[in-house]
Amino acid sequence: MSAEGSLKTDLMVYVGILVMAGLQIFMAYHSPGVIRMLVVAAIQAFLAIMFFMHLRDEKSTLRLALIPATLFVLVMMNMVWADSYRLIHMRPFPK
Amino acid sequence: MSEASAHVVHHGPPTSFIRKHVFSLDHKVIGKQYYALALVAVVTGMVLSWLMRIHLIAPNWPIPGLQWLSKVGAPGGVMTPEYYLSLMTMHGTLMVFFVLTNAPFAAFGNYFLPIQIGAEDMAFPRFNMMSFWTTFIAFCILVAAFFVPDGPPLAGWTAYAPLSAVGKDAGPGEGLGQTLWGLSIFVFCIASLLGSLNFIATTLDLRTKGMTLARMPIVSWAWFITSCIALLAFAVLLPACLLLILDRIGGTSFFIPSGLNISDHLQPHQGGSPLLWQHLFWFFGHPEVYIAILPAIGIVSHILINSMRKPMLSHKTIIYCMMGIGFLSYMVWGHHMFLSGMNPFSALVFSFPTLMITIPATIMTLIWLGSLYGSNLRINTASLFCLGFISMFVSGGVSGFFLAQPSIDIYLHATYFVVGHFHMVMGVAAIFGVFAGTYFWFPKMTGRMMSERLGRLHFWLTFIGTYCIFMPFHYLGLAGNVRRYSAFTDDFLVPLIPVHKFITYSALFTGAVQLVFIFNLIYSHFKGAIAPANPWEATSLEWSTPSSPPPFDNFGGKHPVVYHDPYQYGVKSSTGDYLMQDSPERAGETP
Amino acid sequence: MSEANLTMGHGAGVMEERPFAIPSKKLVMWLFIISDACTFGAMLFAYGYVRNAAPDWPHHFETASIINVAIMTFILVTSSLTMLIGTRAAKSGDKSGALRFTFITVVLGLVFAALHLREWMSMIHAGVSLFQNPWGAPLFGASFFGVTGLHLAHVVSGAIALTVVALGYKRGRYNADDIEIWSLYWHFVDLVWMFVVPMVYLLNVAQ
Repeated sequence: MSAEGSLKTDLMVYVGILVMAGLQIFMAYHSPGVIRMLVVAAIQAFLAIMFFMHLRDEKSTLRLALIPATLFVLVMMNMVWADSYRLIHMRPFPK
Repeated sequence: MSEASAHVVHHGPPTSFIRKHVFSLDHKVIGKQYYALALVAVVTGMVLSWLMRIHLIAPNWPIPGLQWLSKVGAPGGVMTPEYYLSLMTMHGTLMVFFVLTNAPFAAFGNYFLPIQIGAEDMAFPRFNMMSFWTTFIAFCILVAAFFVPDGPPLAGWTAYAPLSAVGKDAGPGEGLGQTLWGLSIFVFCIASLLGSLNFIATTLDLRTKGMTLARMPIVSWAWFITSCIALLAFAVLLPACLLLILDRIGGTSFFIPSGLNISDHLQPHQGGSPLLWQHLFWFFGHPEVYIAILPAIGIVSHILINSMRKPMLSHKTIIYCMMGIGFLSYMVWGHHMFLSGMNPFSALVFSFPTLMITIPATIMTLIWLGSLYGSNLRINTASLFCLGFISMFVSGGVSGFFLAQPSIDIYLHATYFVVGHFHMVMGVAAIFGVFAGTYFWFPKMTGRMMSERLGRLHFWLTFIGTYCIFMPFHYLGLAGNVRRYSAFTDDFLVPLIPVHKFITYSALFTGAVQLVFIFNLIYSHFKGAIAPANPWEATSLEWSTPSSPPPFDNFGGKHPVVYHDPYQYGVKSSTGDYLMQDSPERAGETP
Repeated sequence: MSEANLTMGHGAGVMEERPFAIPSKKLVMWLFIISDACTFGAMLFAYGYVRNAAPDWPHHFETASIINVAIMTFILVTSSLTMLIGTRAAKSGDKSGALRFTFITVVLGLVFAALHLREWMSMIHAGVSLFQNPWGAPLFGASFFGVTGLHLAHVVSGAIALTVVALGYKRGRYNADDIEIWSLYWHFVDLVWMFVVPMVYLLNVAQ
């Protein structure tokens, strides 16, 4: 339990997450894009899971059990997009 | 040490009647409560199917007493076509959620998972009690739909939008009845989440000394894998129900397209997509099929090994196959939607994993059959139901090959072929698993044996009866008989009515046969022969408890120590041809 | 033989070792979190679906509301930091420090909820409801209130849970592990917000 990093790490992660939140707002006005936004959000989430929630300090088996399972379900849900665009574009993806 | 012993004592023995039998923390009582709830639901669902079958062959015949259930739905006892759909919806919902999810998974899992891994109770007994009572509330909300003025919903257990989402205009029962349905399933999701959290934590954390994951019996593995599937599948149904309820009472239109005109009434909703509901629902719905069948697969494998008196060809492969099925179950939901107007390219993508999922299923079947070959099978009711399960699983599974291919599915979709397919492979097969489990574990649950003679009678009549009901369904489907029609009086389906008559008579007969089972259950509970400690000469830990039924802490204050793989059959030992998991003895050579 | 086996290998317990070496409660919290992640995932997918399918999705979030969201984000992420400090204090046995920082977290969460409700109110005043809005696709309001409402419900229930656990911790009913376990939930609520902000707000800013 002692290897949970220090307040310094926490503060660095905290500042990092806030900076990325600011970056997202900047992107919203200058280069909006779902994928780009999601990548930044995913990095934020990764930092939060690893450092705030201390998944970094748990056994690697826990990481291997939780993260792939969640990602798998979320990735599978992407199959719905092909239908969402068809309603107005009448094709799987917008041109 | 402190961490381990923190779990040795969960709670003291219950003293008051309420703590003992109603709000019990004991996983065994909760398992029985789940079983009783499933029994009530299955009887209700079966009566509903009787009413539907009778209506199909005699649409104008007044069913005595039905007018009291619903004056609007069945004036004078003759049900309206809408009421037929209402009964069908309730039949499906009760059977899928409250029977097929509850009986093999929640009921037997609750009772036997902690015992099989050598634990005193579930990891969180209070949670466990909550999940049962939440399920019970969900059941009450659902059944309440019978008694609201409009009657139960008629959108089917899949509640396809926009029918389920637009409200009263869509027909009787689509008012309050459908809202109750959504609410009930929402509550059921929460109950299932609580249950599966508890199952996973129990399996991982409460295994007794020596009970490594590899030494867990197949059926414990099945419950564990099922709870992993349920954990993530019900999580998706939860927001889907939330959005459906919002559509119905909040005026949103997630699932309702623009410009919809229902009952000469232009709907105010705009911009939604019915396909979205189907996607969300089936994203849960297909894993749900495996939530129903995997525990049955586990129970059957567990009992078969015991009856064969020798290890399976590879019981580990069965576990891997169950994991494979669990994994693939999230990739195939689109095969329910080939004709929904879904993107045809996605149909191809969904078809491939659907065909893939037959591979683990086939491997399991081959292992069962290959192990049965040349074995000295002990024939009793439990093992007969296991054989019946394999038969149903194969017959129903084979029709899945046809439905998995979009081009063939175009012809067969929404016909009785589909109805026959899922009733056999998911409905009857899982119920056979429950029957097998009941006959096998009844001595442990009550301390008395079930009547073997009545059991065999029950098996043979049920086995023949279910084939008589569901095999002709495939023929009807191939002949073009569409599902959800309430009568076939004057259209092209008239020539098929003799087949329908045959099915109805078989259904009435098979349903009546279940009275034998219920009689056997009640009679044996009070008057059955006293069961020996280990009547089936089985090896797993549930037969090591000091008494039947086990004391409240399962092993009488001790913790068993496990020395062996779960299935030490066909070996030489002091007890005969088997070796209990907690026996420190070393197995001799194969006799 | 049994005596020998008992003392061999896995330490002196009567149980098998936990595969993840964490308390069951923590495991259950992690499992609940991944399940809840799928719930939020499905919600956001549904939102994305109806957004894709709408020809006139409104892009109306003005600078003022983006500033408001930035403040809310700052508050929620800061509450995660105070939660971390509180957890660390609880772990090192500093009971009063743990309580102080946990309650600061709860207060920050409530401020977040208040700011959120204020924003809701101003949107409702502007004519946004579950079934219509002045700017375009009617589902905008439905999905906005749906997604943020689900998140808000998590924030509020998290604040309640943390209060209960902190009070229990004060009275000795709960220990530092419980604080840590509920901090996981709090960080998760924060994590979800990191997806809600770009998807619901930032993609719909008024350019």
